[in-house]
Amino acid sequence: MSARVAVLACALLLSACASFDPGNPPLATYVPDAGYGFERLERGDNSDGLFVILTFSGGGTRAAALSYSVLEALRDTTIEWEGRRERLLDEVDVISSISGGSFPAAYYALYGRKMFDEFPDKFLYRPIQSDLIKRLFLPSTWWKLAAPGFGRSDLAAEFYDREVFGGGTYADVIARGRRPFVILNATDMTTGSPFPFIQDQFDLMCSDLAGVSLGRAAAASSAFPVGLTPLTFQNYAGTCQYRQPPWVELAAEDRESRVNPRRTARAENRLALADHGTARRPYIHLTDGGVADNIGLRGPLTAITSPNHAWSVLRMMNNGKINKLVVIVVNAATNPATDRDQTSRVPGLVDTLKAAATVPLDNYSFDTLELLSASVNEFNEDARLVEGCKKLAARNGTQCALDIPAPHHIELFPVQVAFEYLGSAEERAWFKNLPTTFQLPRETIDTLRAAGRRLLSEDPEFKNLLKAVNGCLADSEHSC
Amino acid sequence: MTFPTRRFVYIDGEQNGYTNEVLRVDAGTHVFDLGNVRNYQPASRKVMVKDTTVLEPLEIAFTKKDGG
Repeated sequence: MSARVAVLACALLLSACASFDPGNPPLATYVPDAGYGFERLERGDNSDGLFVILTFSGGGTRAAALSYSVLEALRDTTIEWEGRRERLLDEVDVISSISGGSFPAAYYALYGRKMFDEFPDKFLYRPIQSDLIKRLFLPSTWWKLAAPGFGRSDLAAEFYDREVFGGGTYADVIARGRRPFVILNATDMTTGSPFPFIQDQFDLMCSDLAGVSLGRAAAASSAFPVGLTPLTFQNYAGTCQYRQPPWVELAAEDRESRVNPRRTARAENRLALADHGTARRPYIHLTDGGVADNIGLRGPLTAITSPNHAWSVLRMMNNGKINKLVVIVVNAATNPATDRDQTSRVPGLVDTLKAAATVPLDNYSFDTLELLSASVNEFNEDARLVEGCKKLAARNGTQCALDIPAPHHIELFPVQVAFEYLGSAEERAWFKNLPTTFQLPRETIDTLRAAGRRLLSEDPEFKNLLKAVNGCLADSEHSC
Repeated sequence: MTFPTRRFVYIDGEQNGYTNEVLRVDAGTHVFDLGNVRNYQPASRKVMVKDTTVLEPLEIAFTKKDGG
């Protein structure tokens, strides 16, 4: 017995010395227009004129099911656009996802429409959480976990690679080479900033995203703090002749004038990650994407409002390419009931930590949605202002007609799929008390799938969109 | 961005709309130019964009170079 213990102890010690495998290979030489980027994807029949962005929030299997239901509904929605009858799903250009929402996003990036045959059984209906916990009790797992560079999320990444994504990597996604551009988001634990899995971000670290597995990206995006460990990536900055885009230096220079602190912060984050001098960060620890932005909307918001972005939508608008912009936010946020306020007892440590971990996220999500509304309103107000001025001037006679040059006009459709929009208070309460876990009963998944479809079809902006493109969402009773 | 003819506009090195149109850009310092056919002046303009509105946009003028 003692010999066995000694062998085990030696094995654990040896594994602790095992070399760290970051799962992200270095990039030999930086090539600005290479790797996984929006501009490099084939547009195919997907028009730019109707530009559709989906964002999938965090929330474990609950979020995965709700996001999946929206993809199903878009597949079943037919529209008329540019003289063709097509599926709205085929017009989706970008998907930005967080945590649980990253699983359907990644699966769609890898397998496209095949996901509708496979994903429910591969992920949604599967007791992922139990399977992961079982693996924790295997001696071979202890061996791995004894290494300081290997955590529970590395174990989860291996599991997702093998059991969910079939070992698929970004090289496979690049090989598919078509829209939508799928962006899985994690959070840089040190800076607290979003960390998107796109080549533009990996260029900063002189790393080749093509060699990263989807399982590892999804594991980083869903490394829910405490329950799952952060995932460590190697930063090879300074080894590939990387050059920052020109806007970075300009935005960093604006620090003193404070003219646009958000842009300056983005520039400084890029400079910090690419630093290969004294402030070098050889390792980057990524935690759940929800820590930085639980609805995956921050990146798209920047793309809509700034030309200085890896897939700037504003640039496309300025080029007159986009006529209708649709942003569908799938938000699986809950608000579980609590009896905390029924007693004078001081809330315990677990309760307090849970509130500290989740309440700021929800508040931030609320603010992010407000920012989306503000951006939409700004675009619409600009158009109304120009029209109003023209009308006022024209009242004084045709000689007073004004020719006010205005930016290219686009119609915006901000759609929200969230439990808070369910009409029935009882139903709302049921959904808002669903747990955040990677395992839900089959009936719950089915109920979520039905709710997502219904919420989408009932959203006022989605109805406006369908009217504008002569669209129709088929259901079990009506086909289009 | 004004210029006697319709040209591509480059903002911070990236093609971004056309001359003689109102373009949107976020606040901050940006570099504007008209690309590699250098028959215009100045060669580029570095401008801090702020406090503009749709009715009062910032005008950035380029002219043709003599003989351009």
